[in-house]
Amino acid sequence: MFDPEDFKYVKFLVEIGLTHYLVVATLLFSMGIFVMTTKRNAIGVLLGVEMVLNGAAINLVAFNRYHGLATVDGQVVTLFIIVLAAAEAALAVAICMNYYKNLSTIDVDRGDTLAG
Amino acid sequence: MHPYEIALIAGVAVPLLMFAVLALFGYRIGKPAAGWCAVAAVMASLALSIYVLVGWLGGTAADHFRLGQEAARYTWLTMSIGANHIPVQFGVKLDSLTVVMYFMVTLVSTCIFVFSVGYMSGHSDEVDGISKYHRFFAYLCLFEFSMLGLVISASLFFLFVFWELVGLCSYLLIGFYFDRKYASDAGIKAFVTNRVGDFGFLIGLMLVFTFLQTLDLDQAARTFAEQAHMKTGIFAPVVQIFGWHITGVTLATVMGIGLFCGAIGKSAQFPLHVWLPDAMAGPTPVSALIHAATMVAAGVYLVARIFRLLTPEAQMFVAVIGCITLTITALIAIVQTDIKKVLAYSTLSQLGYMIFGLGVGAWIAALFHLIVHAFFKAMLFLCSGQVIEGCHHEQDIRRMGGLHKKMPVTCWTFFVGVLAIAGFGIPALNFGLGGYFSKDEILAVAYERAYNWTYRFEEGAEHGAAGHHADAAQPQAKYMLAQHHAAEPDEDKILEEDAGYPGEGEIIGSEAAREARAAKQKIGRDTPVLPKWMFWLPIIIAYVTPFYMMRCWWLTFMGKPRDEEVHHHAHEMPLMWVPLVVLSIGTVFTSYFLFRPEIAEAGRQATNAAMVVAVDGGEHGELNMLSLTHEAAHNPHGALIYYVGFAWLIGMVFAWLIYRKGFILAERLRRIWPLNWAYVALEQKLFFDHVYNTVFVAGTQWVVAQAARLVDTYIIDGLANLLARITVGLANFSGWVLDAAGIDGIVNGLGETAEGLGDIVRRPQTGRIRNYLLFGTAGASLVLIAIVIVAVKIG
Amino acid sequence: MRTAVILGICVIVLATAAMAFAQPVPAEQLQVTEQAAPQQPWSQALEAIFFYVISAAVLLSALGICISRNIVRMAVYLFFTLGGVAALYFLLLANFIAVIQLIVYAGGTLILLIFGVMLTSKSPWARFDVKKKEMIAAGIVCAVFAAVLLAVITTATWPVQSQPEVHAVSVANFGMELLTTYLVPFEAVSVLLLAVMIGAAYLARQE
Repeated sequence: MFDPEDFKYVKFLVEIGLTHYLVVATLLFSMGIFVMTTKRNAIGVLLGVEMVLNGAAINLVAFNRYHGLATVDGQVVTLFIIVLAAAEAALAVAICMNYYKNLSTIDVDRGDTLAG
Repeated sequence: MHPYEIALIAGVAVPLLMFAVLALFGYRIGKPAAGWCAVAAVMASLALSIYVLVGWLGGTAADHFRLGQEAARYTWLTMSIGANHIPVQFGVKLDSLTVVMYFMVTLVSTCIFVFSVGYMSGHSDEVDGISKYHRFFAYLCLFEFSMLGLVISASLFFLFVFWELVGLCSYLLIGFYFDRKYASDAGIKAFVTNRVGDFGFLIGLMLVFTFLQTLDLDQAARTFAEQAHMKTGIFAPVVQIFGWHITGVTLATVMGIGLFCGAIGKSAQFPLHVWLPDAMAGPTPVSALIHAATMVAAGVYLVARIFRLLTPEAQMFVAVIGCITLTITALIAIVQTDIKKVLAYSTLSQLGYMIFGLGVGAWIAALFHLIVHAFFKAMLFLCSGQVIEGCHHEQDIRRMGGLHKKMPVTCWTFFVGVLAIAGFGIPALNFGLGGYFSKDEILAVAYERAYNWTYRFEEGAEHGAAGHHADAAQPQAKYMLAQHHAAEPDEDKILEEDAGYPGEGEIIGSEAAREARAAKQKIGRDTPVLPKWMFWLPIIIAYVTPFYMMRCWWLTFMGKPRDEEVHHHAHEMPLMWVPLVVLSIGTVFTSYFLFRPEIAEAGRQATNAAMVVAVDGGEHGELNMLSLTHEAAHNPHGALIYYVGFAWLIGMVFAWLIYRKGFILAERLRRIWPLNWAYVALEQKLFFDHVYNTVFVAGTQWVVAQAARLVDTYIIDGLANLLARITVGLANFSGWVLDAAGIDGIVNGLGETAEGLGDIVRRPQTGRIRNYLLFGTAGASLVLIAIVIVAVKIG
Repeated sequence: MRTAVILGICVIVLATAAMAFAQPVPAEQLQVTEQAAPQQPWSQALEAIFFYVISAAVLLSALGICISRNIVRMAVYLFFTLGGVAALYFLLLANFIAVIQLIVYAGGTLILLIFGVMLTSKSPWARFDVKKKEMIAAGIVCAVFAAVLLAVITTATWPVQSQPEVHAVSVANFGMELLTTYLVPFEAVSVLLLAVMIGAAYLARQE
């Protein structure tokens, strides 16, 4: 009486798998890019970067999870990402402070000295 | 090829040869020698023609007929109409008319050539310091060649070729003094006017070629007769209005009129007569030779040759044209004061008589008149040339008078000419000169056609004249009868059945008589009665002719000198009066039927029975083809004695009365109404020149001017502007495109390209890190899409 | 906005709590399921509920970051996002990473960022609005990018192992791995951190 085919989408929704996490990661990644490209505040851009990094990290962890937990490769790399993100954040904030010190603003669009 | 043909062709070739010699080496031959060379050439032609003539006169009519039939034909080329291959043949039309005409042309030419040598010695022959003496005689030789070629041509095609050649010579010789405006104008006028006529000739020629499928005169006549018999081809009516055929308007008529148009142009008939008086701008020998004796007679000759191709309607057209011409030109001649113009108009009038004669069917009389006229008119012109030369280029008879003492020979030869043209003769004694026989014979035929036609027909039917043919029983006569039958345009069926249709040589005895009678009956029906005015106008002009000739002669030679200076210097040149004497003798002899039998014989062959009315001049004639009333047949003056018997006397006396004391009486008469009006009209040549100048010349000029203006404005200017624009465009192209855009453009373009590329590349380089990121993302998206697409495609 | 923040906080707290409650269970149960029957329906449903809730929190807060114009608010939204991601890590049985995520990101990086905000802004509420055109362009590009990625992800058949191991990685194992297999990267990252620390201090120093 139950045709499995009829519940294919229900099943897909219920059985959380790799795809679901990848979708979330993708959306987060995309929104991170959006934030990076639409925020003129340097700190805002940094927020976008964090989002992108998180999106990527989700990928790694998810793959690690669904490709078996025999290894921890994904998680280790995620750890490195987190570390690098922290380092990057520290450095970026320092740069932002310098930027602000030089230009009296945190608007990234003002730093267009390289514009053609 | 008979020796006669060779002689005739050789006679044509000699002047051509001499033309080439004179044209090429004439300048070196020198002044008098070149002229004598030409005289020698034409004398050679004359000798050849005398040889032929003597031989010809020795033969019988049957011999002549046989020779004519046996004459060689050389196919020049073959033209095709559909499946028919029509040869265009050259050959000698060997008959009495050719021989006589040939002799006449060469004889008159010889006289005039000799005269020319004297004439040219007294005239300037230099234009821009270059002697044209040899050129004059070269032209004359070319004319001689063309004219003789025209006479002997058996094919309409070659006739047309020589026809155009004489036209060219006429143009060249009228405009001989081309540095004089009036002369070159006159040449152009003559040429252009002739073109109008030749256009019609050409149309007629094409119709002949298309419908008769031949250009040979004899062949064309035969085919024409057959078609007329069968009512096919060009005899189908061409004009239809609401389904009704207009009687007689057939292509055959159009063809005949078209061919006649050539004669209208060349013989200067109304309405194209205007060129001939102007043509007197040429040297006087030219006027005598070309515009009096030979070339203008070529039109008459043409009509005589195509006579068998004329339908009754076309013949009536010919007669009307001739009648109009002879009337108006004779009237205009009355008031002319230029001696050459008087002669020119008298020439026109006499040509009108000839054309009229042909139109009414007086073939023999017309040709007879042509020969006679050639002699006396050439003589008259040479006399006038003598006078002009003697009076130092004075042509106005108002300044002459009393010249008979200074130039007696000229005076009296001129008077012979006057008598000849006037038709001097004494009816009772059957004695007379020129026109007395020829012109009056034409008038007699016209009289018959106008008043006596029906009667004659009945007479002819009852009369036993047909027996005359049967008795003759010559092959030629048989041929003629067969032709009679075949040539009847509207053969009555019943009559045909009654008469049968015998082949040649079968006509004997009573059958032949019956044939001839039937033919004559047919003629009576076919040939329309001449309108009365067409008889009376020539009769009246027969009185006018002696009047104006007498006036001219009297005012020139008699009375008191009106200009002492002219009179004082007047003289006579021996070299120039010798030809006058020769020609006056010729006039007398031709008047006395020297060639009359030959012409009559030719007439029998050259005419179709449908139209021939051969009135025989007295007992000299040997044939009454169609008997007139007995009286008229033997002596036209018998019939017309009360009409024109003494016209010459009356006209001359009248002229003498008026001009006895010079112009005094004439001046007085001129002021009387209605003569004043008539004088003005005639003085202005009946306004033909005005009308033509206004309508045709000015009209053409207007059209041309408009066309030129339009062409100028739109095409020439357009082209000029176009060229200018193209130039500007090219300059711009060179300047802007090549230089600015090309050279500079390459240089600048490289820079600008670099700049532009840089600009394009610069745009994204906002310097904003955000934008770079966005571009990167977009690029990544595109790459991703590409990868997906490729992946999908592959797998 | 305020409501959204409160809602997000609630979600995160709830999720985290749920994780904490759920955490002990899988080790054995999943072990069982691995050996015997497939995962029990209720566990699976629970996982799904958690996933959706947490994902919603993550994405909604991320969306908040996107549409917010205020940097402080963005920072707050990011906090939820990072927290949500940490919760997802829990759900993915990466406990250690999740904890690290919470500590380093939410606890360290975010604070650092907020300090940055405070240090660089004349007013914490300073706004730098971008043009609408740019927003639209960026939106389109990102949407396309996401769409393409999603299309690939959803249509791809991932070589998922038929019997995934579901036990969580213990921190001991993780430490062993980190100091054996990944020793060199680990040390490199350590050196990098040091360098960054020095560099950041150098850059941020007062002249």
